[in-house]
Amino acid sequence: MDYDAEPFATARAMPAADFSRDLDQHRGYLLRVARLQLRDEALAEDVVQETLLAALSGSGFSGKSSLRTWLTGILKHKIVDAIRRKQREPTVASAFGDIDSELDIEDFDGLFRENGAWETKPADWGNPDAALSRRQFFDVMDLCLEKLPANTARVFVMREVMELETDEICKELTITANNLWVILYRARMSLRECLEQNWFADEGAAT
Amino acid sequence: MIRKALGHVISCKDAARLVSHREDAALSFWQRLTLRLHLSVCAACTRFERQLRFLRTAMRKYGE
Repeated sequence: MDYDAEPFATARAMPAADFSRDLDQHRGYLLRVARLQLRDEALAEDVVQETLLAALSGSGFSGKSSLRTWLTGILKHKIVDAIRRKQREPTVASAFGDIDSELDIEDFDGLFRENGAWETKPADWGNPDAALSRRQFFDVMDLCLEKLPANTARVFVMREVMELETDEICKELTITANNLWVILYRARMSLRECLEQNWFADEGAAT
Repeated sequence: MIRKALGHVISCKDAARLVSHREDAALSFWQRLTLRLHLSVCAACTRFERQLRFLRTAMRKYGE
């Protein structure tokens, strides 16, 4: 883990008060990611606190990547640890174990006709990249992510936000590669539809 | 004509699954070929492919 390779490097480079204020600015984002992953408010708080503490005390923040990217890297480890801990507790195993109900790819058959053609073809999103500079777009994204089933959101965020490799995710969550692909497919289909309905449809109407 | 017929070796449903699958694993030669042929004749799936690519960019941005 490279983030504690060089203890106190940051403390030397920057007054502690400034650094902790910078960290605090990212707290909201870290909490959002942790909540999506863990679906447990208290645990999410814990994990974010551990992340910020690790950032303050250890830290090998070099300034090569953005502070947020670096914090995401720490958070990733803390979340994986939390999931491991949670999986070991038999009482809450069901919260993570009930992934089967999220595995039916055929649920999405409604999107396609019997011959495999689109029931409703994907709409024209115009120039979607413009949305990336709008804060409201990411608020809509949050809502769409929250609508996903718990395990589906967790897996999707691990893959697309934290950029874990598929075999890492399979190992951490003890699911098969095939199950992982089904979950990711479902997540993408749901999010695509949700963004189309809640962002791009309105945008299309406005222009 | 032949191209059009070959484009329908797989359906939009199959193509959508392959487009998603491609983000996570390497497709086989046959999968790549049939997907490519399908995309070359199907505007809806081409649009879908672009939207998934955008989704990926957006999620990376969300994490930055």
